[in-house]
Amino acid sequence: MGDSGRAEMLAQVTRLGQKPGVQSTLLLARESGAIISTSGLVSKSSEVNPDSILPASQDDPAEGYANGLTKGGLHNAEDVARLVLNFVETASTLAGGIDAEEEVKLLRVRTKKNELVIVPSAKYILVAIHDTPPA
Amino acid sequence: MDPAARREAILAKKEKLAELKRTRALRQQELQNSRQASGEHADLIQPTPNRAARQRDIDDILTSVLGESRSSSVGPRETASPRGGSRSRPGSVVSSRPFSDDRLVSTPRLSSGSDEPQSQAGASVQSESTYVASGTQTLSVAPLHTVYEDPGDAAPAPEIVTYSKAVQTVDDWEPQRRHNEPDSDDEDWLGDGRSPRRRRQKDRLEQIRQELRKEIEEEVKSAVKPADEAAADAKQLERFPARTLSTDELEAVSGSRDFQDFIDQSTKVIERALDEQYDLLIDYTQGKGDLDEDDEGYGAGRVKKGRRVKEVAQYWDERWSKKRMISDLGFSPKYPELLLAAYTKNPSAPHDPSGLLQIWNAHMPSRPEYTFHASSDILTAKFSPFHPSIIVGGCYSGQVLLWDTRSKSTAPVQKTPLTGAGHTHPIYSLDIVGTQNANNIISCSTDGVVCSWSIDMLAQPQEYLELLAPSPSKTEDIAPLCIAFPQADPTYFLAGTEEGTVYACHRYERAGAKAGVDARVRYTGHAAPVMSLDFHPARGPVDLGDLVLSASMDWSVKLWRVRPPAALGTAVTGGNSVQGPVMEFPREDLVFDAKWSPVRPGVFAAVDGAGTLEVWDVNVDIEVPVASVKPSERAGGSAAWLKRSLNRCAWERNEGKKIAVGGLDGVVTVFEVGSELGGTETSKVEEWTQVKKVIGRAEAQIGARAAVNGRSGL
Repeated sequence: MGDSGRAEMLAQVTRLGQKPGVQSTLLLARESGAIISTSGLVSKSSEVNPDSILPASQDDPAEGYANGLTKGGLHNAEDVARLVLNFVETASTLAGGIDAEEEVKLLRVRTKKNELVIVPSAKYILVAIHDTPPA
Repeated sequence: MDPAARREAILAKKEKLAELKRTRALRQQELQNSRQASGEHADLIQPTPNRAARQRDIDDILTSVLGESRSSSVGPRETASPRGGSRSRPGSVVSSRPFSDDRLVSTPRLSSGSDEPQSQAGASVQSESTYVASGTQTLSVAPLHTVYEDPGDAAPAPEIVTYSKAVQTVDDWEPQRRHNEPDSDDEDWLGDGRSPRRRRQKDRLEQIRQELRKEIEEEVKSAVKPADEAAADAKQLERFPARTLSTDELEAVSGSRDFQDFIDQSTKVIERALDEQYDLLIDYTQGKGDLDEDDEGYGAGRVKKGRRVKEVAQYWDERWSKKRMISDLGFSPKYPELLLAAYTKNPSAPHDPSGLLQIWNAHMPSRPEYTFHASSDILTAKFSPFHPSIIVGGCYSGQVLLWDTRSKSTAPVQKTPLTGAGHTHPIYSLDIVGTQNANNIISCSTDGVVCSWSIDMLAQPQEYLELLAPSPSKTEDIAPLCIAFPQADPTYFLAGTEEGTVYACHRYERAGAKAGVDARVRYTGHAAPVMSLDFHPARGPVDLGDLVLSASMDWSVKLWRVRPPAALGTAVTGGNSVQGPVMEFPREDLVFDAKWSPVRPGVFAAVDGAGTLEVWDVNVDIEVPVASVKPSERAGGSAAWLKRSLNRCAWERNEGKKIAVGGLDGVVTVFEVGSELGGTETSKVEEWTQVKKVIGRAEAQIGARAAVNGRSGL
């Protein structure tokens, strides 16, 4: 499987990352916390595998809601990953505490400027950060 | 000096002191009493105590302090003696000297002496220096500086603090001291010089001590913290490696089945979330005014609000929809938000599968919910009305395909074989008829073959029927492009052919008629291929199930009244009755599809080659459509007008509020109709009876005309 093969695999995530309004996406392995792919995020680590970085959306600020985080205001992938993992962990504790059989399926965190949509599964976590109308 | 003798002396002094204390306590009580008796007088007495008494008091304090401190610190002193015992002695000796007037000297002693038990090493040095000072009997207090500065590195104890500390344990010291303070005038004269300094020194010491404490704390912290931090770091590293995967790892991960499933699901979920139009956090009090109330929509002004037809969504997939034509559309009966679209092949992509099926979700316009493929162009497809996850389709190759949305693969889960047993010509039309427990797929190919299949077994048709044109026609062959079943009877259907005739067909033999095309009746009127047939859904108070709409390339839509097969059997025998349409709706272009509204009796939608969707209501007007709209041009789409043609339309079956249209450009457009054209809530019984009336009137007109024509013909 070559480069294109994997790109095909991640095509849906790439697509997602390129949707208008989507600032960044982050795909994590839940167990290890490793970053499988990112888009629209910077990484502080120097030995980042360039394959894991997907193209981000070229937002037209006039069209969408350009709520910060345009060029220069990018988040750090590792930081976001850590925060998200923590948050998912907490949410899982909550769900598990209510019912041991329970499982977190979707987390939407609406902030003033953005919304984080987090889809956790047993093995992976997919996060999309997108602009929302200011609320 | 002999310690024993000294101890004895001290004991004696103690006794004396005790006595003194008693007397003083007495006196104090007296004083208190007297003060209570006469406040003013007490004030006078207090500041002027008798000098001798005062002096005695002071001395008493001194001795008591020294004696006390000494006796109380016997233990520590003894233990400390190997180190500084001999040197510390002089301090105590000096201080415990018999009362002298030299209080100046003795007072410092007092301090150093009380210091001693606490800090042997430092205090011994200082006490030596003070001893010298006391020896010379000068008033110099210079060495005192060192007294307080030296012990800095040892446990620093300012005079006053230790002083009280050392004695605090003894009950009777406190009152004495308190009593002493107000009238310690004598001490003040020398204390004046010292106390500020003392205070200063004390402050300084305090400061030093705090600094020290801080330092120590910091040291402790720094000693503890690295460990903590290291642990935390290690934990973080373990839990959140700030690394990305290597290419190999990436390949491994992204190749796994789990991963693919996850990606598939999660991206769908996120896209649905993103495509959600409604802002949950909207604050209507903010009144931005951008909530456009353009209820007028298309043809604003002229069209009444309830009759408007408004575009709500367009579905297009960049990767798959390109250069394909839409061949069929259909809403899911179970999930009204799901819309199925069948596509023909993309001529410029020979390596892509020819047939494409996309299921769009109203909540996720940006990508299809499911995508299915076929090796041949899909010409018709529909959701099974009896099973929400099953889709059947007919191909150009003559195969009937069956997909399942539960299947992970995009390929059909079942398909009919390409053999002589089934169809060998393109299947342009199929239907699923029967009941929940007994239903069949009926497919019809252009060579006139109609097959019935069981959903469980597509290997072989259950029924095979060849439609042949009845005798008057020149050739036996007929090419049906569409079939339609009435709601009530799954054994009887109409077939619209390429030459324009609509035939009534029976699946089985029945009284007076063979299976196949019914020779006794045909419906003529179209001069070009019939593209679609649609029976009235008839879910109302009046049975309109015998009304059929046909759309044809002869630029018209026609409405027929179909005679039920039972009536045919008795009324006409042997004769070839030719039935004309009840109503005609001439259009300005090829009409590709016409469909009854599932909920409103007189409403139907038609799409034509000009790319127009027209909505008609026979109750309102039979000359012009109630609404006529064109799908908006997709951004970036080709503008060729040829491409604008619309092939198919489909109503959402539960509420009848949405119409999906699609055509040559491969874009699916969904319209929503106003409350007068769709929706169940405003439906009235009168509508049904009125439709019946309208049809009856039209029939009467035709009958009258026929009679006139017949007479003139004679």
